[in-house]
Amino acid sequence: MRARIACLLLPLFPLAARLRSEPELAREALVAAEGNGGAARVVAATRLARAAGVRPGLTLIQARALCPKLVARQRDGDCERAAQEALLEVAEGFSPRVEDAGEGVAYLDVDGVERHYPGPSPELELGRCLMRAAEAAGMPARVGIASSKLAARVAASLPEPPVVVSAGEEASFLAPLPLHRLGPEVEIAGTLERWGVRSVGDFARLPPSRVASRLGRIGRELHAIARGIDPQPLIPREPPPLFHEGMSLEWPLVSLEPFLFVGRAALDRLCQRLESRGFACIRLELELRHEPDGHQSRSIDLPAPTRDAKTLLTLVRLDLEARPPGAPVAGFTFVAYPDRPREAQLSLYGPAALSPDKLATTLARLFALLGPDRVGSPRPVDGHRPERFALVDFAPPPPPEVRREPRAGRGLLAVRVLRPPVEIEVLTGENDPANLMPVEIRALTDGTTAKRPRVEGKVKVASGPWGLEEEWWADDPVGRDYWDIEIAGRGLYRIYRERATGAWYADGIYD
Amino acid sequence: MTALLARETIITPPTAAVASPTVRRLRASLPEVLRSRLRSARELDRELRDAAGAGAFPTAVPAFDRLLEGGLPRGQLVELIGSRSSGRFSILLAALAAATTAGEAAALVDLGDGLDPEAARSAGIDLQRLLWVRPATLKKALAATEMLIVGGFPLVVLDLGQRRGRGAEAAWLRLARAARAHDSALLVGAPCRVSGTAAAAVLKAGRSRASWRGGDRSPWLLTGIAARLALEKCRGRLPGRTGDLAFAMADAPRLSRARILPGSQLRVREQRPSIFYPRVAVG
Repeated sequence: MRARIACLLLPLFPLAARLRSEPELAREALVAAEGNGGAARVVAATRLARAAGVRPGLTLIQARALCPKLVARQRDGDCERAAQEALLEVAEGFSPRVEDAGEGVAYLDVDGVERHYPGPSPELELGRCLMRAAEAAGMPARVGIASSKLAARVAASLPEPPVVVSAGEEASFLAPLPLHRLGPEVEIAGTLERWGVRSVGDFARLPPSRVASRLGRIGRELHAIARGIDPQPLIPREPPPLFHEGMSLEWPLVSLEPFLFVGRAALDRLCQRLESRGFACIRLELELRHEPDGHQSRSIDLPAPTRDAKTLLTLVRLDLEARPPGAPVAGFTFVAYPDRPREAQLSLYGPAALSPDKLATTLARLFALLGPDRVGSPRPVDGHRPERFALVDFAPPPPPEVRREPRAGRGLLAVRVLRPPVEIEVLTGENDPANLMPVEIRALTDGTTAKRPRVEGKVKVASGPWGLEEEWWADDPVGRDYWDIEIAGRGLYRIYRERATGAWYADGIYD
Repeated sequence: MTALLARETIITPPTAAVASPTVRRLRASLPEVLRSRLRSARELDRELRDAAGAGAFPTAVPAFDRLLEGGLPRGQLVELIGSRSSGRFSILLAALAAATTAGEAAALVDLGDGLDPEAARSAGIDLQRLLWVRPATLKKALAATEMLIVGGFPLVVLDLGQRRGRGAEAAWLRLARAARAHDSALLVGAPCRVSGTAAAAVLKAGRSRASWRGGDRSPWLLTGIAARLALEKCRGRLPGRTGDLAFAMADAPRLSRARILPGSQLRVREQRPSIFYPRVAVG
C-alpha cells in the first residue's frame, strides 16, 4: 500500500502572505515586489493587476506605467514566516505528520485520514475540508492528493481544486502535462527540448538507462518522477515551540495608536493560531525593529495562560507607555510562548468553579490595569508587624463536590490597617517615658497626610502599652509600644510609638 | 402576598438578560408552549438554588442576614454604609468568610488597602479562595470590580475605605447591570451613600459603642463594639427595620502568653499565641 500525501499549496505566496496581514488590500490591484528603487521587480500580482497587464518580472516602474492605481508592497519575511507557520498549523489540524516545504507549500500524510470523511469520494471531501480550514485562517490554499509528493503538488496547482490522483495512476496523470510542471533544471530542460520531448509522458517513455547515461543522476531522478515514482519520502517536521506573528511596516511609526492598530490584527491572528492548537499564551515577547537600524526586545509575563487578544493588546499598550521605544518603529514581531490553558473539573452539585480561561483573562486585565503587585491572594508573613503581607498567585482549589453550609460567624471585630501608618502628634498625661498615657491626638497636616484619614481628638479611653519587638538581632530592629484608643465620637484606633525615634503613628482603625 | 413580592424582587427570577444569546435564539425559534419550558443550565441552577433557599450568600452576621432575608442576594448590588468603627469592615470580612468557607471564590476590591491577611484568616476567610485587589483610585476600583464580575466571581466585595468620593452614577448602574447579568452578588462598603439608585438594598451601620473591660486597678481592655444596623432601602420592602450588631475583639485574649509584669492585677486567659506582649500594665 503506497502512502497517500496531500499537498497544501498557497499560490502567489508572497502576495497571499501580505494579504493575510492586510486583508483590506484584497480589492486593490496589488503586487509584491523585491528589490529597491528602480531595480524593484514584481514577484507576484493579484488578478486585478494581472488584468491590467502586470506580470511577474516587470520592474515596478513598468508595472505602475501599466496600472497607475497599483499598490505595491515589498516582500515581507515576517509576514511570510507567519503565513507559512499558519499553513502548517492548518495541516497539523488534519494529520500529525506534516512536512514544511517552504514558500507556501506543506505536505501532509493523509493515509487513513479519509476514513473520517464518509461519502462517495472521501479523499475529495478531505481536500475540501482542508481548503475550508485554510480559508478560515485567511489563506486561499489549493489541495492536491496523490501517492507521491510531486504528483500531489502538481495536482494542487491545477485549476478547480481539490484534485485527487488515484493510487498507482500518478504516471498516467502526469503524462499529458507539459514538461515544465516537473520543474526541471534549465540545462536539462534545454536538452530535452532539443530532443523534441514536450510532455511528461514523452519523457517517461524514454529508456531509463539511456536517460541516466546521457543526463546523469539528476536526469535519472527526474525520469523516475515522470514515471510516477517519487523517491523523496515525506519528512515530518517538529512543531515549533514558539508562535511568531509580525510584519514590516510600510512607513515607520512614531506614535502609539497606529502601532496598536496594526498590532491588534497581528495579536488576533496569533490568538487564533494558539486556539487552533489548543494553547494559550503564558509569555509574550515583542521585538521591534527601528528606523534606520537597531532593534529592541521586551517581554510580558502573564499571570495565567490566556488567548484573549484584547488583554494582550492592553498589556502591550501599558508596556509601551511605560517604556516608549525611543525611535521610529519599522517592523515588529510578536512571539507567544505557548502553554496549556488551565482546566477545571466542574461539579454538578457543588458551587460553580471559575472558568479557568475567564479567570486567566480577568487576572491579566487586572494586572494590566493595576500592576502585578496589586493583585493576588493574600498571605500572612512571618513576623509581628501587622502592616506586612504577601501576595501569591491566585489559584483557588477546586470547589467542593457538594455545596458546604457556611460556618457560623465568629463575630470578630476587624482592624482596617492604615498603610502606610499615619503620623500623629500625641499629648500624653505623664512625663515619665515608662508610663505614657495618650490624652489627646493631633493630626499632622502636611503634604503627605493631606489625603490620609485624619486621626485627632480627645482620647476617651486608652489601653496599653502592648510591646512589640521584632528582629532585635538586625541593624534596624523594630520596637513599638501599641495603644488601643477611643477618640470621643471619632472611632477606635490602634496607635503606636516607635521606641527608637519617639514618633507616634496610627496604624489601624477598629471597624 | 407582600412577602412573596418582596422575595421576588430580591431574588430575581431568570430573565432573558441572564440567558446566553444562543439560548435566546433557540427560545425565540420555539412555539410559545415550549418556550417557557426551555431552561439553560445556568437558569436551571439558579432556579434550583432559589428553590432551596440558596439564592443568597449568607454572611453569618445574624442582623445583616435577617434584614436581607437570607443574606446577600445574587445578581444585586447591596450597599453597606457606616462611619469609622461602625463594624462595616467586620461585616465585609464576615461575608467573605462565609462565601469562601462554603467553597465559593470571592474577591475583595480594597480601595483603602486595609486588609490584614492574618486578621482575615482569624475571621475565617479561606485565603486560597480570596482574590485581593488593591486599586489606588476610585476609578480603577470601579473598573476592577466590573472585570471581576464579568470574570465570573460569584461574590465581589468593594470596600471604599474612608474615601468620600462617589464616582459617576453611571458607573454604579453599570456595575449593578453587570452583577445582574452575571448573577454575582456585589457588596459595596462606603462611609456614605455612593451608588445612588443602582443599589437594590442599602444598610446603614450606626455609630458604635465600644465596650471596655477594666478600670480602677486593672488596665482597660477593648473587648468589642456594638452598633445598630438599619435597613435604609430595599426594593419592594419598607425601610426602617433594624438589627443589633456585636463584634468581639479578635485578640481580647491578645494578652495570651503575655508576660505580665509584677504588680499587675490583670487576669488573662491562656489562649492561642499572640503577637503582642504588654510591657507594662496600666492601672
